[in-house]
Amino acid sequence: MRREPELGRLYDEHAQSLYAFLLNFTRDESDTRDLLQEIFIKLARHSELLEGARDERAFLIRLAHNAAIDLIRRRGTRERTSEKFATESIAPFMPASNPDEQAFRAGLAEALAELPPDQRAVVHLKLWEGLTFEQIASALNIPPNTAASRYRYGLDKLRDRLRPLYEEIK
Amino acid sequence: MNHDDFEQRLQCQPPRQIPAEWREEILAMAGRGSRVEGRAQKRPRPSSLVSRLSTVLWPHPVAWAGLAAVWIFIFAVDLSTRDSTPVVVGNFSPPPAEVIVEVRQQQRLLAEMIGPRDVREADRYRSSAPRPRSELVEQLTT
Repeated sequence: MRREPELGRLYDEHAQSLYAFLLNFTRDESDTRDLLQEIFIKLARHSELLEGARDERAFLIRLAHNAAIDLIRRRGTRERTSEKFATESIAPFMPASNPDEQAFRAGLAEALAELPPDQRAVVHLKLWEGLTFEQIASALNIPPNTAASRYRYGLDKLRDRLRPLYEEIK
Repeated sequence: MNHDDFEQRLQCQPPRQIPAEWREEILAMAGRGSRVEGRAQKRPRPSSLVSRLSTVLWPHPVAWAGLAAVWIFIFAVDLSTRDSTPVVVGNFSPPPAEVIVEVRQQQRLLAEMIGPRDVREADRYRSSAPRPRSELVEQLTT
């Protein structure tokens, strides 16, 4: 059983990253909270989990990724997720005061939601976590080349989708 | 559209901040969760069981449904063909003990009515052994 000060440290260092990563998958705040709580309960129960991990962040992201994939499976098909996204989803980015910027963020949120989960995970970790392909590969348990190709495909789709908005505010 | 510019533009978008009040709640839940670990591990909760089942069945639900339908069909066919079996078995079952005793009594009564007759011990033993009903009827009529 992990001691509470240690759990507090893990929370302070990693919870924001895990929250952003999970929110990008779930687009639902209560689901994200449930998954985050699930991860920390697991850490509290199994103190040995992090002992062999070389990179805490990568290990926690792997836990979060598995939890998010399980959630997506439980939810059912991607169409249902998209349907939910259209009606009651929460944007994974901070609101912007500038209307053009806000429109770009909303477009980006929609474009990210349309990416397959494996590409979305890599794109998120590369762009907003600043991880290298080696670190992403370690976190998601995939070869580095696969991480790089998923990033390239994902980024191309985002570029195609956001080109009009990007040109407008550039 | 420059590749690097676009990437930088995306990187500038600030992710939403985690609500501050979650910290206490999540850590408290984690603390409580670890204290009840023993009880929770002994008995799988229905929700976790359902979750595991859905994880196993989710990838190919149609295939699992098809497999279940095939099993139901096999079971139904088995049930419908099983009906004739007990009748066949029933025809070959030996007569119950009460019937044998009754027949023996009737034999004795008939023997007394007909009159004294030398019945050898060996015949008595033979007649007391369980026989097919057809043989008993023959014996009674002769």
